[in-house]
Amino acid sequence: MSEPLDLGLRAQAAAIAAGEVDAGELLDAALARIEQRNPALNAVVETFPERSREMLAAAPEGPLRGVPLVIKDEWPLPWRAQRFGAAELMVPTAPGESGPYRALRGAGATIVGVGNMHELGAGSTGAVSYYGAARNPWDTERCPGGSSSGPAAAVAGRLAAGAVGADGLGSVRLPAAYCGLTGLKPTFGSSAMAGHHMAPITTLIVSGPLCADAGDCRLLASALYGKELSTGDAAGLRIGVVRDPVSEDVTPEAAGACEEAIEALRAETGGELREIELPDLEAASLAGILIINSEAMGGATPRKLNRLSPELSPIARGTLKYGMLLPAAALAQGQRVRTLMRRRLAALFAGVDVIAWPTVPAPAPPLDAPVVELPSGTHSADQANVRGAALANLTGIPAISMPVGLSDDGLPLALQLQAAWGADELLLDAAEALERANGRRWVDAVPPPAEASAMEA
Amino acid sequence: MAENAPSGGGFIPAGLAALGIEADETELAVMAAVHGLIWPPLSELLALDTAHVEPERCPDLSRAPEP
Repeated sequence: MSEPLDLGLRAQAAAIAAGEVDAGELLDAALARIEQRNPALNAVVETFPERSREMLAAAPEGPLRGVPLVIKDEWPLPWRAQRFGAAELMVPTAPGESGPYRALRGAGATIVGVGNMHELGAGSTGAVSYYGAARNPWDTERCPGGSSSGPAAAVAGRLAAGAVGADGLGSVRLPAAYCGLTGLKPTFGSSAMAGHHMAPITTLIVSGPLCADAGDCRLLASALYGKELSTGDAAGLRIGVVRDPVSEDVTPEAAGACEEAIEALRAETGGELREIELPDLEAASLAGILIINSEAMGGATPRKLNRLSPELSPIARGTLKYGMLLPAAALAQGQRVRTLMRRRLAALFAGVDVIAWPTVPAPAPPLDAPVVELPSGTHSADQANVRGAALANLTGIPAISMPVGLSDDGLPLALQLQAAWGADELLLDAAEALERANGRRWVDAVPPPAEASAMEA
Repeated sequence: MAENAPSGGGFIPAGLAALGIEADETELAVMAAVHGLIWPPLSELLALDTAHVEPERCPDLSRAPEP
Protein backbone atom coordinates (compact mmCIF):
# COMPACT_ATOMS: atom_id res chain seq x y z
CA MET A 1 0.00 0.00 0.00
CA SER A 2 1.22 3.52 -0.73
CA GLU A 3 1.40 6.02 2.11
CA PRO A 4 -2.09 5.91 3.68
CA LEU A 5 -2.25 9.67 3.50
CA ASP A 6 -1.89 9.47 -0.28
CA LEU A 7 -4.98 7.31 -0.55
CA GLY A 8 -8.27 8.84 -1.49
CA LEU A 9 -11.04 9.47 1.00
CA ARG A 10 -12.92 6.23 0.37
CA ALA A 11 -9.75 4.19 0.52
CA GLN A 12 -8.66 5.83 3.79
CA ALA A 13 -12.06 5.21 5.35
CA ALA A 14 -12.10 1.62 4.13
CA ALA A 15 -8.56 0.94 5.33
CA ILE A 16 -9.40 2.24 8.79
CA ALA A 17 -12.65 0.27 8.94
CA ALA A 18 -10.78 -2.89 7.90
CA GLY A 19 -8.14 -2.35 10.56
CA GLU A 20 -5.41 -1.97 7.95
CA VAL A 21 -4.64 1.60 8.97
CA ASP A 22 -4.63 2.97 12.49
CA ALA A 23 -6.65 6.18 12.65
CA GLY A 24 -4.38 7.68 15.30
CA GLU A 25 -1.33 7.06 13.15
CA LEU A 26 -3.12 8.53 10.15
CA LEU A 27 -3.92 11.67 12.10
CA ASP A 28 -0.31 11.96 13.22
CA ALA A 29 0.82 11.48 9.64
CA ALA A 30 -1.54 14.21 8.48
CA LEU A 31 -0.26 16.61 11.10
CA ALA A 32 3.33 15.77 10.19
CA ARG A 33 2.65 16.30 6.51
CA ILE A 34 1.00 19.64 7.19
CA GLU A 35 4.10 20.66 9.11
CA GLN A 36 6.26 19.45 6.25
CA ARG A 37 4.40 20.71 3.19
CA ASN A 38 2.23 23.56 4.38
CA PRO A 39 4.98 26.19 4.51
CA ALA A 40 5.11 26.03 0.70
CA LEU A 41 1.33 25.96 0.28
CA ASN A 42 -0.14 28.03 3.12
CA ALA A 43 -3.23 25.88 2.67
CA VAL A 44 -3.88 25.21 6.35
CA VAL A 45 -3.97 28.23 8.64
CA GLU A 46 -4.44 26.46 11.94
CA THR A 47 -4.11 23.00 13.41
CA PHE A 48 -5.20 21.91 16.89
CA PRO A 49 -3.75 18.46 17.53
CA GLU A 50 -5.36 18.01 20.92
CA ARG A 51 -8.82 18.92 19.61
CA SER A 52 -8.30 16.61 16.65
CA ARG A 53 -7.29 13.76 18.94
CA GLU A 54 -10.34 14.40 21.11
CA MET A 55 -12.56 14.20 18.02
CA LEU A 56 -10.91 10.95 17.03
CA ALA A 57 -11.26 9.47 20.50
CA ALA A 58 -14.97 10.26 20.52
CA ALA A 59 -15.59 9.37 16.86
CA PRO A 60 -18.60 7.14 16.24
CA GLU A 61 -18.55 4.23 13.79
CA GLY A 62 -19.54 6.45 10.89
CA PRO A 63 -18.60 6.25 7.21
CA LEU A 64 -15.71 8.67 7.70
CA ARG A 65 -14.47 7.34 11.02
CA GLY A 66 -10.91 8.42 11.67
CA VAL A 67 -10.39 10.20 8.36
CA PRO A 68 -8.59 13.55 8.78
CA LEU A 69 -10.29 16.38 6.90
CA VAL A 70 -9.80 20.11 6.42
CA ILE A 71 -12.60 22.64 6.85
CA LYS A 72 -12.62 26.11 5.35
CA ASP A 73 -12.21 29.17 7.56
CA GLU A 74 -15.87 29.92 6.97
CA TRP A 75 -17.58 28.04 9.80
CA PRO A 76 -17.15 28.14 13.53
CA LEU A 77 -15.76 25.19 15.41
CA PRO A 78 -16.43 24.68 19.11
CA TRP A 79 -12.95 25.96 19.85
CA ARG A 80 -12.57 28.54 17.11
CA ALA A 81 -14.58 31.31 15.43
CA GLN A 82 -14.26 31.66 11.69
CA ARG A 83 -12.21 34.59 10.37
CA PHE A 84 -13.53 34.34 6.80
CA GLY A 85 -9.99 34.96 5.62
CA ALA A 86 -10.19 38.52 6.90
CA ALA A 87 -9.04 40.76 9.70
CA GLU A 88 -12.60 41.94 10.26
CA LEU A 89 -16.16 40.95 9.42
CA MET A 90 -19.25 43.12 9.34
CA VAL A 91 -21.02 40.81 11.79
CA PRO A 92 -19.77 39.22 14.99
CA THR A 93 -18.63 35.59 15.01
CA ALA A 94 -18.02 33.19 17.86
CA PRO A 95 -16.90 29.61 18.39
CA GLY A 96 -19.67 27.06 18.07
CA GLU A 97 -20.91 23.83 16.56
CA SER A 98 -21.55 24.63 12.93
CA GLY A 99 -23.55 22.40 10.64
CA PRO A 100 -20.53 21.08 8.76
CA TYR A 101 -18.72 20.42 12.06
CA ARG A 102 -21.66 18.38 13.33
CA ALA A 103 -21.93 16.56 10.01
CA LEU A 104 -18.26 15.60 10.05
CA ARG A 105 -18.32 14.66 13.72
CA GLY A 106 -21.44 12.56 13.18
CA ALA A 107 -19.75 10.72 10.33
CA GLY A 108 -16.75 9.99 12.53
CA ALA A 109 -14.31 12.27 10.75
CA THR A 110 -11.48 14.15 12.40
CA ILE A 111 -10.96 17.81 11.60
CA VAL A 112 -7.20 18.17 11.27
CA GLY A 113 -7.02 21.82 10.31
CA VAL A 114 -8.69 24.97 9.03
CA GLY A 115 -8.25 25.85 5.39
CA ASN A 116 -7.16 29.24 4.13
CA MET A 117 -9.56 31.25 1.98
CA HIS A 118 -9.76 34.36 -0.15
CA GLU A 119 -10.44 37.39 2.01
CA LEU A 120 -14.15 37.73 2.83
CA GLY A 121 -14.86 35.04 0.23
CA ALA A 122 -14.71 37.82 -2.31
CA GLY A 123 -12.40 36.42 -4.94
CA SER A 124 -11.82 33.42 -7.17
CA THR A 125 -8.03 33.31 -6.96
CA GLY A 126 -7.02 32.87 -3.32
CA ALA A 127 -4.40 35.55 -3.92
CA VAL A 128 -5.63 37.77 -1.07
CA SER A 129 -6.10 36.56 2.48
CA TYR A 130 -5.58 37.67 6.04
CA TYR A 131 -3.23 34.70 6.31
CA GLY A 132 -1.38 35.43 3.09
CA ALA A 133 -2.13 33.72 -0.21
CA ALA A 134 -2.53 29.98 -0.42
CA ARG A 135 -0.51 28.41 -3.22
CA ASN A 136 -1.35 25.95 -5.94
CA PRO A 137 0.41 22.58 -5.47
CA TRP A 138 0.69 22.25 -9.26
CA ASP A 139 2.80 25.39 -9.36
CA THR A 140 3.32 27.28 -6.15
CA GLU A 141 3.65 30.56 -8.04
CA ARG A 142 0.08 30.13 -9.29
CA CYS A 143 -3.30 30.85 -7.76
CA PRO A 144 -5.00 27.92 -6.08
CA GLY A 145 -8.42 29.40 -6.82
CA GLY A 146 -10.97 30.75 -4.44
CA SER A 147 -12.51 31.42 -2.32
CA SER A 148 -11.93 27.88 -0.95
CA SER A 149 -8.23 28.24 -1.68
CA GLY A 150 -6.88 26.38 1.33
CA PRO A 151 -9.21 23.38 1.12
CA ALA A 152 -8.29 22.91 -2.54
CA ALA A 153 -4.56 23.34 -2.02
CA ALA A 154 -4.67 21.01 0.98
CA VAL A 155 -6.34 18.19 -0.94
CA ALA A 156 -4.26 18.65 -4.08
CA GLY A 157 -1.13 18.74 -1.91
CA ARG A 158 -2.28 15.54 -0.19
CA LEU A 159 -2.41 17.12 3.24
CA ALA A 160 -5.85 15.56 3.54
CA ALA A 161 -8.04 13.44 1.27
CA GLY A 162 -11.01 15.74 1.49
CA ALA A 163 -12.07 19.19 2.56
CA VAL A 164 -15.25 21.12 3.15
CA GLY A 165 -15.52 24.38 1.26
CA ALA A 166 -18.30 26.84 0.57
CA ASP A 167 -19.64 28.00 -2.77
CA GLY A 168 -21.37 31.37 -3.13
CA LEU A 169 -20.30 32.27 -6.67
CA GLY A 170 -18.15 29.30 -7.59
CA SER A 171 -15.99 29.10 -4.49
CA VAL A 172 -15.83 25.30 -4.46
CA ARG A 173 -15.79 24.67 -8.21
CA LEU A 174 -13.21 27.31 -9.15
CA PRO A 175 -10.45 26.18 -6.76
CA ALA A 176 -11.27 22.57 -7.59
CA ALA A 177 -10.68 23.48 -11.23
CA TYR A 178 -7.38 25.27 -10.61
CA CYS A 179 -6.09 22.46 -8.39
CA GLY A 180 -7.17 19.46 -10.46
CA LEU A 181 -9.85 18.27 -8.04
CA THR A 182 -13.51 17.35 -8.15
CA GLY A 183 -15.73 19.88 -6.38
CA LEU A 184 -19.48 19.75 -5.87
CA LYS A 185 -21.78 22.72 -5.41
CA PRO A 186 -24.96 21.18 -3.97
CA THR A 187 -28.50 22.23 -4.72
CA PHE A 188 -29.23 25.26 -2.56
CA GLY A 189 -30.27 24.24 0.94
CA SER A 190 -29.20 20.61 0.59
CA SER A 191 -25.98 20.67 2.59
CA ALA A 192 -25.12 21.68 6.14
CA MET A 193 -24.89 25.45 6.59
CA ALA A 194 -25.84 26.13 10.21
CA GLY A 195 -23.46 28.42 12.03
CA HIS A 196 -22.25 30.23 8.93
CA HIS A 197 -22.44 33.92 9.72
CA MET A 198 -24.51 34.48 6.54
CA ALA A 199 -26.66 31.36 6.89
CA PRO A 200 -29.80 33.23 7.93
CA ILE A 201 -29.67 35.57 4.96
CA THR A 202 -27.81 33.96 2.10
CA THR A 203 -29.68 32.73 -0.96
CA LEU A 204 -26.50 31.71 -2.73
CA ILE A 205 -23.97 30.01 -0.45
CA VAL A 206 -23.80 26.27 0.20
CA SER A 207 -21.21 24.01 1.76
CA GLY A 208 -19.63 21.49 -0.54
CA PRO A 209 -16.87 18.89 -0.77
CA LEU A 210 -13.52 19.06 -2.56
CA CYS A 211 -11.86 15.69 -3.15
CA ALA A 212 -9.76 13.91 -5.73
CA ASP A 213 -12.69 12.25 -7.47
CA ALA A 214 -16.44 12.02 -7.62
CA GLY A 215 -16.69 8.92 -5.45
CA ASP A 216 -14.88 10.69 -2.64
CA CYS A 217 -17.09 13.74 -3.13
CA ARG A 218 -20.14 11.49 -2.89
CA LEU A 219 -18.94 10.11 0.43
CA LEU A 220 -18.14 13.50 1.93
CA ALA A 221 -21.26 15.08 0.48
CA SER A 222 -23.36 12.34 2.05
CA ALA A 223 -22.14 13.54 5.43
CA LEU A 224 -22.89 17.17 4.56
CA TYR A 225 -26.35 16.32 3.19
CA GLY A 226 -27.17 14.07 6.13
CA LYS A 227 -28.21 11.24 3.83
CA GLU A 228 -26.44 8.70 1.67
CA LEU A 229 -26.22 9.82 -1.92
CA SER A 230 -26.99 6.86 -4.13
CA THR A 231 -25.03 5.74 -7.17
CA GLY A 232 -26.40 5.48 -10.70
CA ASP A 233 -24.89 5.12 -14.13
CA ALA A 234 -25.96 8.29 -15.99
CA ALA A 235 -27.02 6.10 -18.90
CA GLY A 236 -28.39 7.95 -21.87
CA LEU A 237 -27.16 11.29 -20.57
CA ARG A 238 -28.50 14.22 -22.55
CA ILE A 239 -25.78 16.86 -22.49
CA GLY A 240 -26.65 20.46 -23.29
CA VAL A 241 -23.99 22.72 -24.73
CA VAL A 242 -24.30 26.45 -25.37
CA ARG A 243 -22.69 28.66 -27.98
CA ASP A 244 -21.84 31.55 -25.72
CA PRO A 245 -18.71 33.29 -24.46
CA VAL A 246 -18.91 31.09 -21.38
CA SER A 247 -17.91 28.14 -23.54
CA GLU A 248 -16.22 29.92 -26.44
CA ASP A 249 -14.25 32.80 -24.93
CA VAL A 250 -11.81 30.37 -23.36
CA THR A 251 -8.26 29.34 -24.13
CA PRO A 252 -7.85 26.81 -26.95
CA GLU A 253 -6.51 24.31 -24.43
CA ALA A 254 -9.54 24.65 -22.17
CA ALA A 255 -11.90 24.44 -25.12
CA GLY A 256 -10.18 21.38 -26.53
CA ALA A 257 -10.02 19.51 -23.24
CA CYS A 258 -13.66 20.22 -22.46
CA GLU A 259 -14.89 19.28 -25.92
CA GLU A 260 -12.97 16.02 -25.71
CA ALA A 261 -14.38 15.32 -22.27
CA ILE A 262 -17.95 16.09 -23.32
CA GLU A 263 -17.65 13.71 -26.24
CA ALA A 264 -16.11 11.04 -24.01
CA LEU A 265 -18.94 11.48 -21.53
CA ARG A 266 -21.52 11.20 -24.28
CA ALA A 267 -19.93 8.02 -25.61
CA GLU A 268 -19.52 6.46 -22.16
CA THR A 269 -23.14 7.04 -21.21
CA GLY A 270 -24.57 6.29 -24.63
CA GLY A 271 -26.06 9.73 -24.49
CA GLU A 272 -26.42 12.62 -26.85
CA LEU A 273 -25.35 16.22 -27.27
CA ARG A 274 -27.92 18.92 -27.70
CA GLU A 275 -27.15 22.52 -28.53
CA ILE A 276 -29.26 24.77 -26.34
CA GLU A 277 -29.98 28.49 -26.05
CA LEU A 278 -29.35 30.16 -22.71
CA PRO A 279 -29.16 33.92 -23.25
CA ASP A 280 -28.36 36.64 -20.72
CA LEU A 281 -25.63 34.70 -18.91
CA GLU A 282 -23.69 37.90 -18.33
CA ALA A 283 -26.75 39.51 -16.76
CA ALA A 284 -27.13 36.40 -14.60
CA SER A 285 -23.54 36.68 -13.50
CA LEU A 286 -23.97 40.30 -12.49
CA ALA A 287 -27.24 39.49 -10.76
CA GLY A 288 -25.37 36.98 -8.64
CA ILE A 289 -22.74 39.57 -7.78
CA LEU A 290 -25.36 42.16 -6.82
CA ILE A 291 -27.32 39.74 -4.67
CA ILE A 292 -24.31 38.37 -2.81
CA ASN A 293 -23.05 41.92 -2.29
CA SER A 294 -26.36 42.94 -0.75
CA GLU A 295 -26.35 39.87 1.50
CA ALA A 296 -22.74 40.39 2.51
CA MET A 297 -23.34 44.06 3.30
CA GLY A 298 -25.83 43.13 6.00
CA GLY A 299 -24.49 44.63 9.20
CA ALA A 300 -22.35 47.21 7.44
CA THR A 301 -22.92 50.84 8.36
CA PRO A 302 -21.12 54.00 7.31
CA ARG A 303 -19.81 54.22 10.86
CA LYS A 304 -18.33 50.71 10.66
CA LEU A 305 -16.95 51.36 7.21
CA ASN A 306 -15.17 54.46 8.51
CA ARG A 307 -13.45 52.31 11.12
CA LEU A 308 -12.36 49.33 9.06
CA SER A 309 -9.34 47.47 10.28
CA PRO A 310 -6.14 48.60 8.58
CA GLU A 311 -5.35 44.89 8.35
CA LEU A 312 -8.11 44.47 5.78
CA SER A 313 -6.65 44.64 2.30
CA PRO A 314 -7.16 47.88 0.36
CA ILE A 315 -9.20 45.82 -2.11
CA ALA A 316 -11.56 44.72 0.64
CA ARG A 317 -11.85 48.20 2.11
CA GLY A 318 -12.54 49.73 -1.29
CA THR A 319 -15.04 47.11 -2.41
CA LEU A 320 -16.90 47.17 0.88
CA LYS A 321 -17.33 50.92 0.60
CA TYR A 322 -18.23 50.73 -3.07
CA GLY A 323 -20.81 48.12 -2.22
CA MET A 324 -22.79 50.77 -0.37
CA LEU A 325 -23.14 52.75 -3.61
CA LEU A 326 -24.76 50.12 -5.79
CA PRO A 327 -28.28 51.17 -6.78
CA ALA A 328 -31.20 49.30 -5.28
CA ALA A 329 -32.87 49.26 -8.70
CA ALA A 330 -30.05 47.08 -9.99
CA LEU A 331 -30.60 44.63 -7.15
CA ALA A 332 -34.30 44.51 -7.91
CA GLN A 333 -33.47 43.92 -11.55
CA GLY A 334 -31.07 41.18 -10.50
CA GLN A 335 -33.87 39.42 -8.67
CA ARG A 336 -36.01 39.53 -11.80
CA VAL A 337 -33.13 38.09 -13.80
CA ARG A 338 -32.90 35.34 -11.20
CA THR A 339 -36.52 34.44 -11.82
CA LEU A 340 -36.01 34.66 -15.57
CA MET A 341 -33.05 32.29 -15.49
CA ARG A 342 -34.75 29.86 -13.11
CA ARG A 343 -37.68 29.56 -15.49
CA ARG A 344 -35.41 29.18 -18.52
CA LEU A 345 -33.46 26.44 -16.78
CA ALA A 346 -36.61 24.63 -15.70
CA ALA A 347 -37.67 24.56 -19.34
CA LEU A 348 -34.23 23.51 -20.57
CA PHE A 349 -33.96 20.65 -18.11
CA ALA A 350 -37.02 19.09 -19.69
CA GLY A 351 -34.81 18.42 -22.69
CA VAL A 352 -31.34 17.89 -21.26
CA ASP A 353 -30.00 16.26 -18.11
CA VAL A 354 -26.88 18.37 -17.73
CA ILE A 355 -25.45 21.57 -19.14
CA ALA A 356 -21.71 21.51 -19.79
CA TRP A 357 -19.11 24.23 -20.19
CA PRO A 358 -15.56 24.90 -18.98
CA THR A 359 -15.41 25.59 -15.25
CA VAL A 360 -12.74 28.21 -15.82
CA PRO A 361 -11.82 29.82 -19.13
CA ALA A 362 -8.09 29.47 -18.50
CA PRO A 363 -5.84 27.60 -16.09
CA ALA A 364 -4.58 29.09 -12.85
CA PRO A 365 -2.88 32.48 -13.39
CA PRO A 366 0.19 33.68 -11.51
CA LEU A 367 -0.40 34.84 -7.96
CA ASP A 368 1.37 38.11 -8.63
CA ALA A 369 -0.69 38.85 -11.76
CA PRO A 370 -4.08 37.11 -11.54
CA VAL A 371 -5.24 37.90 -15.05
CA VAL A 372 -6.11 35.58 -17.93
CA GLU A 373 -5.59 35.96 -21.66
CA LEU A 374 -8.72 34.99 -23.56
CA PRO A 375 -9.73 35.39 -27.20
CA SER A 376 -11.62 38.54 -26.21
CA GLY A 377 -8.58 40.04 -24.49
CA THR A 378 -7.02 40.28 -21.05
CA HIS A 379 -9.36 39.99 -18.09
CA SER A 380 -9.00 39.74 -14.35
CA ALA A 381 -9.39 36.10 -13.38
CA ASP A 382 -12.26 37.07 -11.08
CA GLN A 383 -14.14 38.76 -13.88
CA ALA A 384 -13.60 35.83 -16.21
CA ASN A 385 -14.33 33.07 -13.72
CA VAL A 386 -17.59 34.36 -12.30
CA ARG A 387 -19.45 34.31 -15.59
CA GLY A 388 -19.42 30.52 -15.76
CA ALA A 389 -19.91 29.97 -12.06
CA ALA A 390 -22.67 32.33 -10.96
CA LEU A 391 -25.63 30.73 -12.70
CA ALA A 392 -25.78 27.73 -10.37
CA ASN A 393 -25.74 29.93 -7.28
CA LEU A 394 -28.20 32.43 -8.67
CA THR A 395 -30.74 29.77 -9.56
CA GLY A 396 -30.05 27.19 -6.85
CA ILE A 397 -29.14 24.31 -9.17
CA PRO A 398 -26.29 21.89 -8.37
CA ALA A 399 -23.03 21.87 -10.30
CA ILE A 400 -19.81 19.92 -10.32
CA SER A 401 -16.31 20.63 -11.57
CA MET A 402 -13.99 17.83 -12.59
CA PRO A 403 -10.48 17.74 -14.05
CA VAL A 404 -10.29 16.98 -17.77
CA GLY A 405 -6.71 17.67 -18.75
CA LEU A 406 -3.52 19.61 -18.28
CA SER A 407 -2.36 22.70 -20.11
CA ASP A 408 0.98 22.89 -21.87
CA ASP A 409 2.23 24.49 -18.66
CA GLY A 410 1.12 21.43 -16.71
CA LEU A 411 -1.84 23.13 -15.05
CA PRO A 412 -5.25 21.49 -14.56
CA LEU A 413 -8.15 22.18 -16.91
CA ALA A 414 -11.72 21.52 -15.83
CA LEU A 415 -15.24 20.88 -17.04
CA GLN A 416 -18.38 21.96 -15.22
CA LEU A 417 -21.69 20.14 -15.36
CA GLN A 418 -24.91 21.66 -14.04
CA ALA A 419 -28.16 19.79 -13.49
CA ALA A 420 -31.69 20.41 -12.34
CA TRP A 421 -32.59 21.09 -8.73
CA GLY A 422 -32.07 17.93 -6.66
CA ALA A 423 -30.15 16.09 -9.38
CA ASP A 424 -26.93 16.22 -7.37
CA GLU A 425 -26.51 12.44 -7.54
CA LEU A 426 -26.74 12.53 -11.32
CA LEU A 427 -23.84 14.98 -11.43
CA LEU A 428 -21.73 12.59 -9.38
CA ASP A 429 -22.81 9.71 -11.62
CA ALA A 430 -21.85 11.69 -14.69
CA ALA A 431 -18.47 12.63 -13.21
CA GLU A 432 -17.81 8.97 -12.43
CA ALA A 433 -18.80 8.05 -15.98
CA LEU A 434 -16.26 10.51 -17.29
CA GLU A 435 -13.62 9.04 -14.98
CA ARG A 436 -14.35 5.62 -16.49
CA ALA A 437 -14.22 7.04 -19.97
CA ASN A 438 -10.78 8.56 -19.56
CA GLY A 439 -9.35 5.82 -17.39
CA ARG A 440 -9.21 8.09 -14.33
CA ARG A 441 -6.28 9.79 -16.01
CA TRP A 442 -7.02 13.23 -14.63
CA VAL A 443 -8.47 12.48 -11.20
CA ASP A 444 -5.43 10.33 -10.44
CA ALA A 445 -2.97 12.94 -11.69
CA VAL A 446 -0.83 14.48 -8.98
CA PRO A 447 1.33 17.60 -8.93
CA PRO A 448 4.70 17.12 -10.64
CA PRO A 449 7.81 16.04 -8.75
CA ALA A 450 9.38 19.49 -8.88
CA GLU A 451 6.45 20.98 -7.04
CA ALA A 452 6.30 18.06 -4.67
CA SER A 453 9.96 18.70 -3.86
CA ALA A 454 9.19 22.34 -3.19
CA MET A 455 6.45 21.27 -0.80
CA GLU A 456 8.83 18.96 1.02
CA ALA A 457 11.53 21.62 1.28
CA MET B 1 -12.84 52.75 -17.87
CA ALA B 2 -15.70 52.14 -20.25
CA GLU B 3 -17.05 55.20 -21.97
CA ASN B 4 -20.59 54.75 -20.73
CA ALA B 5 -19.55 54.47 -17.11
CA PRO B 6 -20.25 57.67 -15.22
CA SER B 7 -17.04 59.14 -14.01
CA GLY B 8 -15.91 57.36 -10.90
CA GLY B 9 -14.32 60.67 -10.05
CA GLY B 10 -17.77 62.20 -9.65
CA PHE B 11 -20.11 59.35 -8.79
CA ILE B 12 -17.96 57.78 -6.13
CA PRO B 13 -17.03 60.86 -4.06
CA ALA B 14 -20.59 62.13 -4.30
CA GLY B 15 -22.01 58.79 -3.16
CA LEU B 16 -19.54 58.48 -0.33
CA ALA B 17 -20.19 62.03 0.79
CA ALA B 18 -23.95 61.47 0.77
CA LEU B 19 -23.51 58.45 3.04
CA GLY B 20 -20.81 60.01 5.20
CA ILE B 21 -18.25 57.38 4.25
CA GLU B 22 -14.60 58.34 4.24
CA ALA B 23 -12.04 56.83 1.89
CA ASP B 24 -8.33 57.26 1.37
CA GLU B 25 -6.67 57.50 -2.01
CA THR B 26 -5.94 53.80 -2.25
CA GLU B 27 -9.53 52.91 -1.48
CA LEU B 28 -10.74 55.46 -4.01
CA ALA B 29 -8.47 53.90 -6.63
CA VAL B 30 -9.89 50.46 -5.86
CA MET B 31 -13.42 51.82 -6.09
CA ALA B 32 -12.68 53.48 -9.40
CA ALA B 33 -11.33 50.21 -10.79
CA VAL B 34 -14.34 48.25 -9.53
CA HIS B 35 -16.66 50.90 -10.90
CA GLY B 36 -15.04 50.69 -14.32
CA LEU B 37 -15.58 46.94 -14.38
CA ILE B 38 -19.06 46.74 -12.97
CA TRP B 39 -20.84 49.82 -14.24
CA PRO B 40 -21.02 48.98 -17.96
CA PRO B 41 -22.65 45.56 -17.41
CA LEU B 42 -24.77 47.06 -14.64
CA SER B 43 -26.08 49.63 -17.09
CA GLU B 44 -26.87 46.81 -19.51
CA LEU B 45 -28.64 44.94 -16.74
CA LEU B 46 -30.77 47.95 -15.92
CA ALA B 47 -31.60 48.31 -19.61
CA LEU B 48 -32.81 44.72 -19.86
CA ASP B 49 -36.57 44.68 -20.31
CA THR B 50 -37.89 42.31 -17.67
CA ALA B 51 -41.41 43.67 -17.57
CA HIS B 52 -42.67 40.33 -18.88
CA VAL B 53 -41.06 38.42 -16.00
CA GLU B 54 -43.64 37.65 -13.38
CA PRO B 55 -41.73 37.75 -10.09
CA GLU B 56 -41.44 34.63 -7.99
CA ARG B 57 -42.89 35.22 -4.58
CA CYS B 58 -40.45 34.00 -1.92
CA PRO B 59 -38.75 31.56 -4.30
CA ASP B 60 -37.69 28.20 -2.94
CA LEU B 61 -34.21 27.98 -4.43
CA SER B 62 -33.93 24.30 -3.63
CA ARG B 63 -36.61 23.54 -6.20
CA ALA B 64 -37.59 24.42 -9.71
CA PRO B 65 -39.85 27.44 -9.95
CA GLU B 66 -43.57 26.93 -9.96
CA PRO B 67 -44.88 26.69 -13.53
